[in-house]
Amino acid sequence: MSGSTGARFGAEAALQGAAKRGPVGGGGAELTAAASASSAEVVLQVQGLSKAYPGVKALDNCDLQVRRGEIHALLGQNGAGKSTLIKLISGAEQADSGAILLNGQRVALRTPHEAQRAGIFTIFQELSLVPGLSVAENIFISDMPTNRFGKVCWRRVRDEAAQAVEWLGHLVDVDSPVHTLSVAQKQGVELAKALRRNAKVVLLDEPSATLPQPDVERLFEVLRVLRSRGLALIYISHRLEEVQQLCDTATVLRNGERIGTYRVAGTSATDLVRAMIGRDLKSTRVGETIGSQRKPRLGSGGGDAVVLSVRGLDDGSAVRDVSFDLRKGQILGITGLVGNGQSELAACIFGARERVKGTIAVEGRQVDIRSPADAIRAGIGFLPDERKTQGLVLPMSVVSNITMASHRAFSRLSVIDRKLEGRVTRGMIDALSIKVGGAGPEQPVETLSGGNQQKVVLAKWLASKCKILIFSEPTRGVDIGAKEEIYDLIKVFAANGGSVVIVSSELQEAQMCDRVLVMSRARLVGDLDYAEIDPHGEEILKLYAGEHERTR
Amino acid sequence: MSSHEIKLQGASNAGARLWPGFRKYVLYNYLLWVLVGTIVLGTMASPYFLTTRNIWNVLTFAAVVSVIAVGQFFVVVTGGIDLSVGSIAALTTVVAAVLMKAGYPAPVAAIAGLVAGGACGAINGALVVKANITPFVATLAMMSIARGTSYMVQEGSLISITDDNFIGWFAGKIGPVPTPVVIFLVVMLIAAYVMRETTFGRRLYAIGGNREASRLSGLPVGQCIFSVYLIGGLASALAGLILAAQLNQGSSLLAQGYELDSIAAVVVGGASLAGGSGAPIGAVAGGLIIAVLGNIMNLYQLSSEPQMVVKGILIIIAVMFISGSGQGSGRKSGWADNLKNALGGLRKRGAD
Repeated sequence: MSGSTGARFGAEAALQGAAKRGPVGGGGAELTAAASASSAEVVLQVQGLSKAYPGVKALDNCDLQVRRGEIHALLGQNGAGKSTLIKLISGAEQADSGAILLNGQRVALRTPHEAQRAGIFTIFQELSLVPGLSVAENIFISDMPTNRFGKVCWRRVRDEAAQAVEWLGHLVDVDSPVHTLSVAQKQGVELAKALRRNAKVVLLDEPSATLPQPDVERLFEVLRVLRSRGLALIYISHRLEEVQQLCDTATVLRNGERIGTYRVAGTSATDLVRAMIGRDLKSTRVGETIGSQRKPRLGSGGGDAVVLSVRGLDDGSAVRDVSFDLRKGQILGITGLVGNGQSELAACIFGARERVKGTIAVEGRQVDIRSPADAIRAGIGFLPDERKTQGLVLPMSVVSNITMASHRAFSRLSVIDRKLEGRVTRGMIDALSIKVGGAGPEQPVETLSGGNQQKVVLAKWLASKCKILIFSEPTRGVDIGAKEEIYDLIKVFAANGGSVVIVSSELQEAQMCDRVLVMSRARLVGDLDYAEIDPHGEEILKLYAGEHERTR
Repeated sequence: MSSHEIKLQGASNAGARLWPGFRKYVLYNYLLWVLVGTIVLGTMASPYFLTTRNIWNVLTFAAVVSVIAVGQFFVVVTGGIDLSVGSIAALTTVVAAVLMKAGYPAPVAAIAGLVAGGACGAINGALVVKANITPFVATLAMMSIARGTSYMVQEGSLISITDDNFIGWFAGKIGPVPTPVVIFLVVMLIAAYVMRETTFGRRLYAIGGNREASRLSGLPVGQCIFSVYLIGGLASALAGLILAAQLNQGSSLLAQGYELDSIAAVVVGGASLAGGSGAPIGAVAGGLIIAVLGNIMNLYQLSSEPQMVVKGILIIIAVMFISGSGQGSGRKSGWADNLKNALGGLRKRGAD
């Protein structure tokens, strides 16, 4: 344990080093000092906000302050607490403790409506416009100007809407229905709507995720204009280069806690990534061994025979020109910050996502994978990160879920061989020690815990006798004990000649693989052997940040 | 899950050791008890109720909707809905009648009727799978198209059927048992076997339970969904043949409202309209419960208007107790769910 604390201090020291280069507030004390120094500027102040959901502490004593005329980035991995913080600030949910201050006044935001009345507007990825109504109608949807008899003054609606939209520099016809606009134009309309109602703070939840590149530039221009007009903007994005281009300050969250707030101009992308990823050294047995410099390892290195060969895979957007080989018995990690294309790559290989270019060969033979069924026929199995919505049929029994990818093997002339099915399922339950409830194989999977559900998905692919398994975030939402068990099962699968691809945004998980590919902005930027990975993962962090490349 | 749930499992386990089949299929089969309850009610209502003649009457009358309900079940289990079943049945009566009037033998007429119904079902399936139209809209359109086509084929008023072979097959008797009853029982048993014992049935439950997971497990989702609409069309056509034989006529005015009757039967029979649950025998049992109640009200000489009100109320009550509001899980629980839970999770025990 002493080794792990040492490493943790190391990480913190590195963080503080980063913070010194440009801190707005490194620790709690500095933050309040900074706040009192320029309290006139601070529009939105979040103090010690906490929120717990059953089983998880989503946000833990979080502080945040956003100033007039500032674009403030909110960074963090999935599950870091960003969305929870947004929900609390936008009034969609209530905090367990803590306070939100607007212009120094404590405000209670019980509903999104109250937040908007206070001047806080949130623009979600799923825009809240009515597609069938015109731009003008949408901008005025909450309070149409009417005359004494309740008739809407359409002239005023149109004129004022035209002003609001023109001001944004968007050439949008206020009479055209919203569904005819591009996503960028719709975002503009949302902003215009917020502005007309005297927005003071605007939260943007990954606005660039759904935009083509030229539109992103235009959005940035608009946001800069808003900044110059004195608005406080909170910008959530996974794309670091955007944050560096656009934002003034960045607050990094990790595991529900605020790690630090940085002045973007003085902080390198690698430092931001380091703050986002960190290393939660207490969490696993595997983690402890990282601390004591003995890196844990999942695989045994693998053989020489190439099992899966991917060449020039490209889906036209999220995956660009990716090539790699997977060897027999090898455990290959594909990692990157969330949203850099690694999950899309996995989906492309499995045929769940359309590819526009590239070839896939299994054991030296070209296979034309156009659907998951094709991939399964070629011997590939896929464990999606969204277990409940993509991996399992929740109301169905354990046995039906385990055999659903290999009906042919469990039936004769389309009639299910129940004896065989039961025997294999009981074997799987024993071998993977799946804790099913009282009804045994007939238990519906919806009653199983996350870890046991993941084991059922694994059993499904083992039953289909596939040779290659692609895991997407294999241990997300799984408790620590089950995590170790799943790692052990992966090891056993590889040791018995299976080949594994692990797609993970967890650095620690990626580090345990025989070989790690790093993705950044849809491309492979790194290719490291196990021996080349330093225990602290510094190399991978730099690759995550997209600051250099290391390929063969 | 709560400790309450675990206790339940323990209870059914103890039972499983004692008398598994009895416990599972009889004791906790809620639907069966509802049916028994309505029959008891009927016996009390009239001495005539439990006579053989009345029983055959009820079953013969229920045969048409039962066959359609089985077809409807296949569609509903995938999360779809088929509104065109009644119109397809009417079209089948007309096609068969026209051909027999033109002198074609009964087998040709019957097969042509099945082909017509199957074609309508196939078009439904293609619209849903290939054109990606929601089932409600696609089959709503087919409801209109099939009914309209039957008018055009019919050219005028109803066409009477005089072919004794045809009437004998679809509305005759085998010993004491009316053939419509034999047909619907056979259809029901085949459907039950397919749903329980074949990979096709398993796939339908999987697709209805989680379409995306089914696709990612390599199941032929499109093919399966196409098949259920085809089955829906064929079942409607078979029901149409029975109807034509029973009434000795082909007419575009027949089988009005059968789409809703069949959906009611499926839902009362324990299937969720969200898909993934229920069984064909349940659908038939649901139809029978509605038919028996109708029969009882007839024996009480209730006029048809209050009968409709009672039928509606019955559907609401049955769905509350039996099938969990006819909607999928993962939504806010309404007071119907609360009521059901308060009744001690009877459905949970009956479900497996």
